[in-house]
Amino acid sequence: MPIIRVDNLTKVYRINQKDPGLSGAVKALFRPRHINKVAVDHIHFSVEPGEVVGYIGVNGAGKSTTIKLLTGILMPSAGQVQVMGRDPHRQRVANARDIGVVFGQRSQLWWDLALIESLNLVARIYDVDPARYKQLLDQFSETLELKDLLRVPIRNMSLGQKMRAELAATLIHEPKVVYLDEPTIGLDLIVKERIREFIKEQNRTKGTTVILTTHDLGDIEELCRRVIIIDNGRLIYDGPISTIKDRFGKYRTITFDTLAPVGQPGTDFNIPEGAELVTNGHSAEDRKLVLRFDRTVTSASRVAASLMNEVEVTDFSLSEPGLASIIKQIYNGALAEAEVSEADEAGSQPLSGGHDQDVFGRYCEPSEGVETGP
Amino acid sequence: MMQALRRSSKMYGAIAAMVPKLYLAYSIWFWMEFVVQILSMTIFVYFWKAVYANSATIAGLDLRQTLNYILLAQILVPVVQNRTIFNFGFLVREGMVGIELLRPMDFQTRYYVESLAGLALSLVLKLPLLLIAWLVFGLTLPSAPAAWGAFALSLLLGQAILFYFDWIFACLAFYSTETWGLSVVREGMALFFSGAILPLNMMPAWLQGVANLLPFAQSLYVPVSFLSGITPVSDAPRAWLVQLVWLVGLVIASRVVFSVSVRKVTVQGG
Repeated sequence: MPIIRVDNLTKVYRINQKDPGLSGAVKALFRPRHINKVAVDHIHFSVEPGEVVGYIGVNGAGKSTTIKLLTGILMPSAGQVQVMGRDPHRQRVANARDIGVVFGQRSQLWWDLALIESLNLVARIYDVDPARYKQLLDQFSETLELKDLLRVPIRNMSLGQKMRAELAATLIHEPKVVYLDEPTIGLDLIVKERIREFIKEQNRTKGTTVILTTHDLGDIEELCRRVIIIDNGRLIYDGPISTIKDRFGKYRTITFDTLAPVGQPGTDFNIPEGAELVTNGHSAEDRKLVLRFDRTVTSASRVAASLMNEVEVTDFSLSEPGLASIIKQIYNGALAEAEVSEADEAGSQPLSGGHDQDVFGRYCEPSEGVETGP
Repeated sequence: MMQALRRSSKMYGAIAAMVPKLYLAYSIWFWMEFVVQILSMTIFVYFWKAVYANSATIAGLDLRQTLNYILLAQILVPVVQNRTIFNFGFLVREGMVGIELLRPMDFQTRYYVESLAGLALSLVLKLPLLLIAWLVFGLTLPSAPAAWGAFALSLLLGQAILFYFDWIFACLAFYSTETWGLSVVREGMALFFSGAILPLNMMPAWLQGVANLLPFAQSLYVPVSFLSGITPVSDAPRAWLVQLVWLVGLVIASRVVFSVSVRKVTVQGG
């Protein structure tokens, strides 16, 4: 029984359009113009209790809008949301009691009050049992290191302190579902790590369902087994991270440093099937060659051997794409291209795996280098 | 039922208790306001003394009665200085409305409680001013408990009337985003038509007519006139009934307006 069910969800914003300058502003007074922007476009998915789902997409893809629809702040233009069997917009107050929300760029805490005052207030609003509250407060102070912050007003806190405080306030009533909208935005590695640990622990010990939006793929890799990717308001992928990793991770990149300049761009080299030249530099003077190959078709040694036959190589490195580069490819349209070509050829399910066409439209920076000597 | 009632009172009690803490976060503010209020009260007293220099009574009120009314109106003026409209605009413009909508309580009731607690706080903070008005400017207060009762109930009703009235206009923020201009107009009208500056019965008949069509007088003129002796206590039941009609109408209207306009909520800024 899914805890969150989203059917055909759509949100259209009406945006006022103004021409630039004063004349534009005046004109807009008399003849306002609107355009409709579809922020969320017929999305379907469901989430089981206890899942941690990464909800990712580029800026403006519709992530935050989806969160606002799920939490009941916004009314859908079409489609349905059900959270614990409720319509979160119509039953906003009842829904709010069972959920927790962190908006990374805003605070639910009272700016001028000391943290402990805010927490006491939140506990009373959510009717947390006093004994339980004390227990949780001790626990949270420990894991989020809040002990020295309890008497500090929110306005005097650093960003990282504020976010830790925010998480404590969000989880103090032990919500069943937690929405985290960019909880690690702008934070240093140590705070990020602490926050991830905390979320993981809450999920593990209480079975809290977590929906997480982020641009930090470290968050995703640490916390989520499942990701939903949206682009331009449309859902383009929903499934395990491992699937996209396998799918896009079968490509490897080899970079060769050569003794002599590699010649004019476009110079032909003899390379085995399944491999391709990504770049041979931007000028005749470059001493670098980058090749990409599909490791299900050929192998590193074959690619290296055939190239070394032709040029003198001083060093080379092999790298596999990290999640970051995979996601970058997907944002750049790799998934859509893959789907189209698959549908043309076999009509198979998107991302079922097993096909061998090149889905790389663009060159991608290899991210995890494995240095290998010649 | 009892359980729900207990929970609500605890929850809204917590909200009310937060109001003084927020106010006292900046202690300098308290002292500044205090000085400003003494100044403005002094100015009012000398203004009215000058007005009465050439006549014994104006609109049936002598200097003593008018001063009594004005001193009390100045002390109770926070009841019409409700910032709901402005605050709403701020919430929507800054995108904070999303977070406030996620608190597990009735949105309107929560702000009503805050507004009521805010009034109670301002009245407590006005106590020193009351003392000065009594000792320095010769304010006289009724000794009959009935007058105090009539005053207290009509103040409570009047505060609620204005809150729900403001709420209707505050909801415009969901459409227009900006409410600063509206809140300035509202503030000016409220001061004038509530009788905070001069007693309503000194106004020309047509202006009194306008004042009666607006709710502002219900929250300041009506309660203050009981306390200053302009309206006899025997008129209280009739005044309460009028206030109750205002209140019921505005509560219904404001809830309808809110439930329609909240569908328009957009949360600005990411």
